[in-house]
Amino acid sequence: MSKTIIELKNVYKKYDDFTALKNINFTLNAGEFYTLLGPSGCGKTTILQSIAGFTEVTSGQVLFDGKKINDIPANQRPLNTVFQDYALFPNMNVYDNVAFGLVVHKVSKDEIETRVHDALKLVQLEQYAHREISELSGGQQQRIAIARAIINRPKVLLLDEPLSALDAKLRKDMQYELRDLQQRLGITFLFVTHDQEEALAMSDHIFVMNKGEILQKGSPVDIYDEPINHFVANFIGESNIIPGKMVADYQVAFLGHQFECADAGMRPNEPVEVVIRPEDLVITTPEKGKLQVKVDTQLFRGDYYEIMATDNQGDEWLIHSTNATKDDAVIGLTFGPTDMHIMRYNETETKFNQRLETYED
Amino acid sequence: MANRSSKLGRLYIIIVFLLLYIPIVYLILYSFSKGTTMTNFNGFTLTHYGELFADKRMLAIFLDTILIALLSSTFSTIIGTMGALAVNNTKRRHQRETLLSLNNILLVSPDVIIGASFLIFFTALKVPLGFWSVLLSHIAFEIPIVLLMVLPRLDEMSPSLINAANDLGATTGQTLSRIVLPVIQPGIIAGFFMAITYSLDDFAVTFFVTGNGFSTLSVEIYSRARQGISLEINALAGIMFIFSLILVVVYYFIENHNASKLKKQDKLEVTGK
Amino acid sequence: MRRSFKTMFYTPYMLWLVLFVISPVALIVYYSFFNIHHQFTFSNYQEFFSSGTYLTMTANSVLYAFLITLFSILISYPMALVISKLKHRDLWILLVILPTWINLLLKAYAFIGLLSHDGLVNNIFQFFGLPVQHMLFTDASFILVAAYIQIPFMILPIYNSMTDISESYIKASRDLGATNWQTLTKIIIPLTMPGIKSGIQIVFIPSLSLFMLSRLIGGNKVITLGTAVEEHFLTTMNWGMGSTIGVVLIISMVIVMLLTTTKRNRRRS
Repeated sequence: MSKTIIELKNVYKKYDDFTALKNINFTLNAGEFYTLLGPSGCGKTTILQSIAGFTEVTSGQVLFDGKKINDIPANQRPLNTVFQDYALFPNMNVYDNVAFGLVVHKVSKDEIETRVHDALKLVQLEQYAHREISELSGGQQQRIAIARAIINRPKVLLLDEPLSALDAKLRKDMQYELRDLQQRLGITFLFVTHDQEEALAMSDHIFVMNKGEILQKGSPVDIYDEPINHFVANFIGESNIIPGKMVADYQVAFLGHQFECADAGMRPNEPVEVVIRPEDLVITTPEKGKLQVKVDTQLFRGDYYEIMATDNQGDEWLIHSTNATKDDAVIGLTFGPTDMHIMRYNETETKFNQRLETYED
Repeated sequence: MANRSSKLGRLYIIIVFLLLYIPIVYLILYSFSKGTTMTNFNGFTLTHYGELFADKRMLAIFLDTILIALLSSTFSTIIGTMGALAVNNTKRRHQRETLLSLNNILLVSPDVIIGASFLIFFTALKVPLGFWSVLLSHIAFEIPIVLLMVLPRLDEMSPSLINAANDLGATTGQTLSRIVLPVIQPGIIAGFFMAITYSLDDFAVTFFVTGNGFSTLSVEIYSRARQGISLEINALAGIMFIFSLILVVVYYFIENHNASKLKKQDKLEVTGK
Repeated sequence: MRRSFKTMFYTPYMLWLVLFVISPVALIVYYSFFNIHHQFTFSNYQEFFSSGTYLTMTANSVLYAFLITLFSILISYPMALVISKLKHRDLWILLVILPTWINLLLKAYAFIGLLSHDGLVNNIFQFFGLPVQHMLFTDASFILVAAYIQIPFMILPIYNSMTDISESYIKASRDLGATNWQTLTKIIIPLTMPGIKSGIQIVFIPSLSLFMLSRLIGGNKVITLGTAVEEHFLTTMNWGMGSTIGVVLIISMVIVMLLTTTKRNRRRS
């Protein structure tokens, strides 16, 4: 078991008439990659800022290495930040930017030179030391911001949407690099993003947030396969969410049919929501299908076709298929018991986890 | 049609520029005229400049004026920059707007009101009228313009720059001296130069608070002009015109020095792509 | 420790606000309630609002300031429009700024020569066969010189608001079939309204109180509120009455500010 490096206990952040953070509790272990994922305004940046020390929490504790750091100013906290707009100092060149953290700590000139050189080498920009910031591309600025943030050898690196200003191609490349860098440095990364793809690709653990609360914690696969509620299912990936009824354990009914499923532990006849991911739906003939839908439109996405269809009750269905169908055609859809995920209304994360343990191995 | 209107436009601005510059040229031209009036040009001479340089009183006033301008703009730049930091740090919109309206009162008030109210103020505090009252007044009415020149730079500056400096371990003092002041430096320089011009240009406020012993060029010109034409004033205008030009050139030299740094970077960025 | 650093830092500016902004205004209001013998009284205000002299003076000041502002706009607007279209517009606008660096009194003094009986203007009149005019010490010459001094201050804000207009608005207007005149009246002028308004603020308020100009160019005939304040403070030493006129000036300043800023706020909200 790796050791806890950061812990938040009952953290609240309130402004005059607005609560930005509601009872935030989590622990971060040394050397792992964590992501705070949520829509803009959900409080994820506020969490980052209260750990960095740019904002004071209203109540609760922020612990670093077991010590409370609530009252320690930002410039004395042993962790560093990569900012969304990079925040590279425009009045200094690359070298001086990276060296800044050492210069203000009055480190000797020789040591500064070796450490700046090493940091630049780590982000593969050692030949850019004497460039001005305005001479760098967005991706290069991004790497300099990282080099500058790790120069003080922090145990935790906070990253505030660092990839959001980059174009799609560069963003993908940087995802690999960040993951790689985190593993080479062996330090904890706390990454903030609103991009679920980014979160799924890079993280060891994802915390999904909405409206100042953490809704679900877990590995990318857990969160994708077993979202706790409507919001998480919708926010992570694309999904078809249909209201239904849990007839008995492993038996769910919706759209007038009863299906075998893989979930259990609910009250008999409890109303639930059923999630089916578009890529888990298989197109077949209307007779063979468990459901019949009529195709409205289809869009070619390169690696698959995205098909919009409607069932006889007027619900919309999203299907990902490698083969095209015909517009206005009636098609059948099939899916297996494990392709469905059942969600209860208003279930808390603790209850959700307890229930899962009762029937999963 | 467009061509004709642009020709008309050109003609128009040439006429307006002529009107703007004729009085100035006229003023300086007569500083080289023999005789004593601004009506007949009686041939070239430098005697008025000679008289001006021999005028000990005028020379003393000239030096006082420069001294007041430099001292007041230095102090107002320091206080105005601090004020800009204060306003920038005021996050509540309502408080910030109140501070800014208070700041702008002296900028929009008529000169006579500023002069009269400062006169009351100094008299009430028993500050003797003279050098100190003039200096304090100049500092006072220059502060708001410095603030207005510096504040946009601060507002443009991303707040994450300060957070970044803090995050890397800089103290408040280090953040200020190494990050904030260098970034807003162009605004500070512009504010300093604006303050100098405000000081050199002011007549009304100085006129109210100057008392009997002390005088600046504006006040001196006024009292001499009320007695009628004296070509020594024309010579003074010539000198001050050159002085203004030098100030403009110095300012643009500093501006360009800063801008050329940036331009060089732009060029490299273009060729780099 | 950070807090004390902050307060130390803000003190000079706050001190300035209190000493040189708030207390002078308070003092001038306070003094307006005292007569020449330092007795508390409302008589200054009674006198101001009942005497024909002061009321005419107020009306005149407003009229002159209005005319000065009007002439400055009429000359400055086309000027800003043409300059904003020129190739080296930065250079041209520098030429507009340059005269403002020359002391106002020197410019006023130049007009004493220009407008005098044998001055340049009368020479030109004579050249065209017109009779010699007596121009110095008239109301017209006061307005002319004041407008001359204010024009650059009017051009600058209008020019700035013009350069802020994106070229594509003008192209869009042409594209939709508007003539040059329609583009000017329906697109350019509405978009430069903020510039015109700040120009009015910069020009109108000081024009209410240009006492040195009315002394030098207008002679002692043109008595504006500004000259009255100067006279009461420096000649007759009736500070109470001077302060009362000052309060009137401050109130009219506030009115002008409100008139020229409300609309902009409304659009923003």
